[in-house]
Amino acid sequence: MKLRSGMYGILVASFLMLGVPLFAHHGTGVAYETDKLVTVKGTVVDWLWSNPHCGLLFDVTDDKGNLVHWGAELGNPHQMSGAGFARDTFKPGDKITVTGHPAKSGAPRMTLDHLVLADGRTLSGRGVKGNGEHDDPSY
Amino acid sequence: MASTTILHTERIAIDRSLVMRKHFFKSVGLLVSVLALCSVAGAQTYGTKGYAPGAWKPEELPKELSQPKPFNAHDLSGVWSMPTKANYERHSLNDKRLNIQDKSLPGEMRAQSYPPAMTAWGKERFEAAKPSYGPRSVPPGLGNDLVSTCEPMGYPRDLWEANLRPFEFVMASDRVLQHMQYHDLWRTIWTDGRPLPKNPDPAWNGYSIGHWDGDTFIVESTGYDDRTWLDHFGNPHSDQMKLVERYKRLDPDTLQLDMTLTDPKAYMAPWVGDTITFERAKVAIFEEICAPSEENRFNDRVRDAAVGTAKP
Repeated sequence: MKLRSGMYGILVASFLMLGVPLFAHHGTGVAYETDKLVTVKGTVVDWLWSNPHCGLLFDVTDDKGNLVHWGAELGNPHQMSGAGFARDTFKPGDKITVTGHPAKSGAPRMTLDHLVLADGRTLSGRGVKGNGEHDDPSY
Repeated sequence: MASTTILHTERIAIDRSLVMRKHFFKSVGLLVSVLALCSVAGAQTYGTKGYAPGAWKPEELPKELSQPKPFNAHDLSGVWSMPTKANYERHSLNDKRLNIQDKSLPGEMRAQSYPPAMTAWGKERFEAAKPSYGPRSVPPGLGNDLVSTCEPMGYPRDLWEANLRPFEFVMASDRVLQHMQYHDLWRTIWTDGRPLPKNPDPAWNGYSIGHWDGDTFIVESTGYDDRTWLDHFGNPHSDQMKLVERYKRLDPDTLQLDMTLTDPKAYMAPWVGDTITFERAKVAIFEEICAPSEENRFNDRVRDAAVGTAKP
């Protein structure tokens, strides 16, 4: 069941990536594996709704039972508002499934692609431009 | 620990041919649902004229924000942004791009404008700069771009943000104010007849005067603080930099800009920029201050940890 959920995440993310650039973000291409995606399930620790970057901190239990402190980069609040995020989207303890591009260093950090909330809603962190339009014409 | 998670994901990818066949139609259905959800969110919120996230809802705002027609060519007022179609992005004076072969890099990473030949002073500054965009990119935690800690971007670098954040012209009787959304920067362009200052104290955004030549508004500037970069590629400028900008409204919704930079301390020749054509922005100006305390917290807890430079 766990395997199947992860598969759907990868499939959906792969389809969404077709021909669509990442949003311009300071240092994304050199700090993160922009051609790779990882999906992890975790519990929200903190939600940084801040300018000019939002951040999501969450804990993940890995295959060996170790607790890993993950973090994800997001755009600024205006960009994220346009993608359906808000300052009260997360609270500590929320269960989430997060997909993103992992840090090249191997550190448990990613730049967000999309995530699934406990209620099943999907929020995307991709393709959002600060001037109010999405790179992805399907938006 | 993180690598364990990544290996697990890669293993899933290897097995995907079997799983894909079995669950293909279910996945496509899920994809359609996700796209539909995104489409609804995009159409009703961001991009709607006057939408202000975290404040007013679209239905609470006047329906028409644009100026009545016909327009006055000597009235630059309004909110402007760079074109939003065809993935156009301007990050320096030119649109030209180097042919960087690494296709895995996003487009903006491969882009680097062509400056004129640099002087020895200019080259030294350029080589000391460690940017996080362009072919010389390093992760922000290992770089020295002042914006990573919310230091002033200076002008004209703040103007290139107009591909992400709009700017606004406000016309006054003795000056024109250029209001940049990012950093909430207010640039004063004096139109009261004063000359450029002869030997001013350097300022982050320089000193500017403007006058009309026909329907073209000409802005001349000097007195810039040389700690800022011209662009996010780390191209330098000195305190001798002079900018000449020519703004012209072509129609109610189009504003054209030509810019020439002269800086004999940093460059061997004037740097003539490609023409920028701004369009009337689809969103209002929002408050978007780069707050040092917030960005430092983000750096410490998220970004710097990605490259192992986070403070303990």
